[in-house]
Amino acid sequence: MRSVIFCRRTIKELLRDPLNYIFCLGFPLVMLVIMTIVDRSIPKEAGMVLFHIQSLAPGIALFGLTFVMLFTCLQVSKDRAGAFLMRLYASPMQAIDFISGYTMPLMIISILQIAIAFVASIMIGRATGYVFQPVNVLLCILVLLPSALMFIAFGMFFGTLLNDKAAPGICSIIISAASMLGGVWMDVDAIGGTFGKVCRALPFYHGVNAARLALQGRYDDLGKPLLIILIYAITIYFVSAILFKWKMQSDLK
Amino acid sequence: MAQAIVIKNLRKEYGSKVAVKDISLRVEEGKIFSLLGVNGAGKTTTIRVLTGLSRPTDGEVRIFDKDLKSELQEIKKLCNLSPQETAIAPNLTVKENLEFIAEIYGFSRSKAIEKVRQIIEDFSLQEVEDNKAKTLSGGWQRRLSIAMALVTEPKLLFLDEPTLGLDVLARRELWRSIEKLKGRVTIVLTTHYMEEAESLSDSIAVMVKGEIKAQGSVEELKLQTGKDNLEDAFIAIAE
Repeated sequence: MRSVIFCRRTIKELLRDPLNYIFCLGFPLVMLVIMTIVDRSIPKEAGMVLFHIQSLAPGIALFGLTFVMLFTCLQVSKDRAGAFLMRLYASPMQAIDFISGYTMPLMIISILQIAIAFVASIMIGRATGYVFQPVNVLLCILVLLPSALMFIAFGMFFGTLLNDKAAPGICSIIISAASMLGGVWMDVDAIGGTFGKVCRALPFYHGVNAARLALQGRYDDLGKPLLIILIYAITIYFVSAILFKWKMQSDLK
Repeated sequence: MAQAIVIKNLRKEYGSKVAVKDISLRVEEGKIFSLLGVNGAGKTTTIRVLTGLSRPTDGEVRIFDKDLKSELQEIKKLCNLSPQETAIAPNLTVKENLEFIAEIYGFSRSKAIEKVRQIIEDFSLQEVEDNKAKTLSGGWQRRLSIAMALVTEPKLLFLDEPTLGLDVLARRELWRSIEKLKGRVTIVLTTHYMEEAESLSDSIAVMVKGEIKAQGSVEELKLQTGKDNLEDAFIAIAE
């Protein structure tokens, strides 16, 4: 119950910060429009399909989730910086209440953000002549949830370790890595060598790939990338939860 | 009279530094007890231990006859704290901050709303109740932070330098609020203002370098030191 009360407070804190709207919603939508314009400017003969809306939409949805990581990180580090968390440490709240109280609202925000990205993509699809299959859109949203959990976990991890001055720097590195190495802005499948191996060793590529396969209705190919991103998400979430609990206990020494 | 706090040989070390040196004291239920001392004397560390924010290195602490080490969760439900720094959720309104804390301490939604209405009146927060906490002046934020400690109806309240940064009128108003709690709530207060300790306290302990150097009522401390006022008595003990 206390986690639900803390969840309500966190969601109010997040929704009342205008920066969250600019970065979590505005920026991904602007990128969606810009990349659609870029796509229309590339000659068909080039055979470039990466920025077609059916490929772009899942990538942009995942790109948006990286900003959820940034705001998770900032929220946790700001809470830790002030005396507010000390007051809560002295209350009957326990580590599990904090961890679930941060996770729940950010999952809700992630789902809303993905849904908005898809509404915008469907509208762009209509304008450009592509019709999304509703079942595949719903499946794609579900497939993006492990990535959402993973980015929230990254946010909690860095928010626990860093202060609110250092957090944005580290998060911007992850945002760049996730979008570049994940294949949002470039075709990782066409890249070999060490760079390609690095991309495939990281979770971001599998998150984007699983979302694209779901949207394309390629259910037979979905299993492997989905399993990989699920394992990454659960592992990183548990590591960040353990870190938060350990840090809380060390603060109370 | 029943004891709210019983401390026996409490010791707190941070590495090789001893912050609290084997202190023992008792605080009676419903009384206001002040911990005085210069900066670094160990007052805040003692409060941190009593509120579960730090683990004692050694010694025994019982709060309302519950053991601090083994029954901390039960003790936490009975206590609240107003930390030295203002501790509020910045993007929540005054009312939401109070409701949030009340519910965290187990009040139902309807009881929390009722209790918040009452505390807003007690602390004259009506004119700012719908303002976001971050937009309030330092004095209002401080008042809200203390109201958040009281909204949960604690049996034991820790006030760590509660009037720091308040103007003289706000300070006097807060004194009146604290005085109203006498007999109902046990209060442990730390302060640097001698007139505050003199005006509010039933008993006082003076801490110097982690040790309790003197204990008693204001009159007893004056008698012990042969001084006419608490400030001179404090200086005589602390030096």
